[in-house]
Amino acid sequence: MENNDNQLIKIYHGPQHPGITGNMSMELDLLGETIKEARTHVGYLHRGFEKLIERRTIIQAFTIVCRICVPEPDPNEENFARAVEGLAGIEISQRAKYIRVMVLEMARLAAQMLWMGGQSGSIGLGVVGQWSVYDRDLILDLFEELTGGRVYHMYIYPGGVRRELPNGFLEKLAQLLDYLERRLLDYDGIFFENSTFKKRAIGVGVVNRDEALKNGYVGQVLRGCGIERDVRRDNPYLVYDKLDFEIPTYEGCDVYSRALVRRGEMVESIKILRQVIAQMPSEGAIMQKLPKHRKFKLPKEDIFVATESARGEFGYYMAGDGSEFIRRMQVKGPSLIHGFTLLENLLIDEELSNVALIMNSLGICPPEMER
Amino acid sequence: MIEFLKKHYEIVEKGSRLYKLQIESDKLVEILSYISINSNFITLSQIACTDWIEDEVFSLNYILTTKERDKNLMVEVRIGRVHCSLPTLLTLYPQAQVMERDLHEMYGINFRGNDTLYDFALENWNEIPPLRREFDTLAYVNEHFDFRIGREDNKDVKVEVKRRKAQAKELKDGK
Amino acid sequence: MSENTQEGFVDQQKVLNNEEYSIKNTQSIIQKAVDWFRARSMFVLAYGTGCGAIEMPPIFTSRYDIERLGVIGVATPRQADILIVSGYCSYKTLKRVIRSYEQMNEPKYLIGLGSCTINGGMYWDSYNTIKKLDEYLPVDMYVNGCMPRPEALIEGFVKLQDNIRNAKSEAGYIQYRENNAFYRANQEKIFGKNTIPTFEENFAGMNQ
Repeated sequence: MENNDNQLIKIYHGPQHPGITGNMSMELDLLGETIKEARTHVGYLHRGFEKLIERRTIIQAFTIVCRICVPEPDPNEENFARAVEGLAGIEISQRAKYIRVMVLEMARLAAQMLWMGGQSGSIGLGVVGQWSVYDRDLILDLFEELTGGRVYHMYIYPGGVRRELPNGFLEKLAQLLDYLERRLLDYDGIFFENSTFKKRAIGVGVVNRDEALKNGYVGQVLRGCGIERDVRRDNPYLVYDKLDFEIPTYEGCDVYSRALVRRGEMVESIKILRQVIAQMPSEGAIMQKLPKHRKFKLPKEDIFVATESARGEFGYYMAGDGSEFIRRMQVKGPSLIHGFTLLENLLIDEELSNVALIMNSLGICPPEMER
Repeated sequence: MIEFLKKHYEIVEKGSRLYKLQIESDKLVEILSYISINSNFITLSQIACTDWIEDEVFSLNYILTTKERDKNLMVEVRIGRVHCSLPTLLTLYPQAQVMERDLHEMYGINFRGNDTLYDFALENWNEIPPLRREFDTLAYVNEHFDFRIGREDNKDVKVEVKRRKAQAKELKDGK
Repeated sequence: MSENTQEGFVDQQKVLNNEEYSIKNTQSIIQKAVDWFRARSMFVLAYGTGCGAIEMPPIFTSRYDIERLGVIGVATPRQADILIVSGYCSYKTLKRVIRSYEQMNEPKYLIGLGSCTINGGMYWDSYNTIKKLDEYLPVDMYVNGCMPRPEALIEGFVKLQDNIRNAKSEAGYIQYRENNAFYRANQEKIFGKNTIPTFEENFAGMNQ
């Protein structure tokens, strides 16, 4: 073969590949080991949620909404519930709000634990995954006790939450938080302070800070660039304005900064959960009285709600049309912009071995891109 | 900052931090560039499209977010459902590329000036764009797949409710 | 498989040719030993095709630790014995799943995880997901639920090991090889003709 030195090789990184976050694919043009062009391909998980929701009544749609994002379904439920409540004019009780915050923060902790397994797996640190997925399972056990489901909870219901807290749940949660806080120090040693990880992560996947706000990046990408943005503080929902928490930021713009931001968020989540346990009202209805299933109608209005998930802002646009069906619900997850606008540019001139590292650090999750 | 925009445009307050503005489709690029330069609504966070088949229009909501990420402004444009096309916002917001690609596939809206409107999630799709209201997903499924025996809930709910009511009434009358 | 066929699971039965390919009749002592070993070493292809893949990390890590049953993950189809179709399968994924399955070396087995693979599950009226996986690929074991608990998947593995060890049922790959026309026709029904490489093309590539 002639011109072998300058020949571009095209490879598909995924969908069948252990180093890819979910079922998606990167089409890479390689010169040697260096990526010259990258294109994202999605659609392997397209189910047509937004079409299915048009055919279902509000309560029927509620059951499939949580399936939009698999690692962290609760922000979707919260978004859906809040959009329906906003359109129908339902105000939920203070106790329900606290329970929702508790569920959302537990989900955030669980998602960060799973991310830690993926991020360390992408550079071959298998043992971190063995630990962190175990610790995530302890959170899932509490979820199971609370909601009946390990992964899909279907707990945050329009009008409140679905079930009362089980006896002694908050004490169990407090114990688990103590355990997780101790565990974080172990993770420091094996992962966050690990020289292997530092060597691979520092200076890799550097995001351009100037265009970060303009291009609509969210979550850890912004906070890893030293820009302090968090929907929980900037556009507060539920009772987040009554809780005291900080927004961790780091200046490096690289994979390592985003990892440290996530570590800081775990600490903050634990802090928030402790406040929730202390402040939780012991009395109060968890569920508002809703109209009957077929009489539950939304007015011809539209609304936009946003929730901070473990990977950034989740936005829902919802339009009602006066019937019991939702006319339109459009989902915008954090991965849509990160997976296309950001990732396609970020991978250029990177090594092939860094693809999995960068994808994991952005937290790309394909089901919310294509719904 | 929103007060400044309110002087120029008829902005409706929809929630505590949510505003709405309705504009004509031919002024879209002009107004959005004005807003992005002269106010702090600099980011496009979502393009949401709704199919109002009874009015024969698509309503597109360009959801803008401030630099501080604390307020959202929905800029609504209405276009006809036949030969629908809009100018692209690629020059203003790079992230519009993938959003427009998505809407092009799901609704068949042509974004003038965006030359990357190829397949997004679907592959070899030959039917009408799936999120248009006239596309009947149940009819499509019944045409292309057959269900396993034992799946009883493959029924129209309204018909089923009527049937059960009639059945109950018959039982009552019989007694 | 033959007596206990449930209502609704008749399609595969149609294409079975029990007398000719039944391992049961010809299982010698050597064959028994081979089956015994085979059941204790299952390599799972790391391909998370749907949301069921979220329960894979717990299974493969220290809590449920399925490695004690001889099940571990591998990266490439050439080394894999088991393909798990974890949940709903869109057109685009099914095409890749078929390709991966055909590239795997025999003996190979396929587990359908979640209700979506059995009858469409939650997405029964979705225009982009298939409803019955066993029309397109031979399924050796179904695990139902949405989402199935890790224990359910482990039980699926144990049942599959039993089947392999005792040669209880027709292995799916034999059906797929011998009755390829049936599966191919179903695949072409949704993909259109000549859009995917044939089994022979994939299979020939494997032996080179």
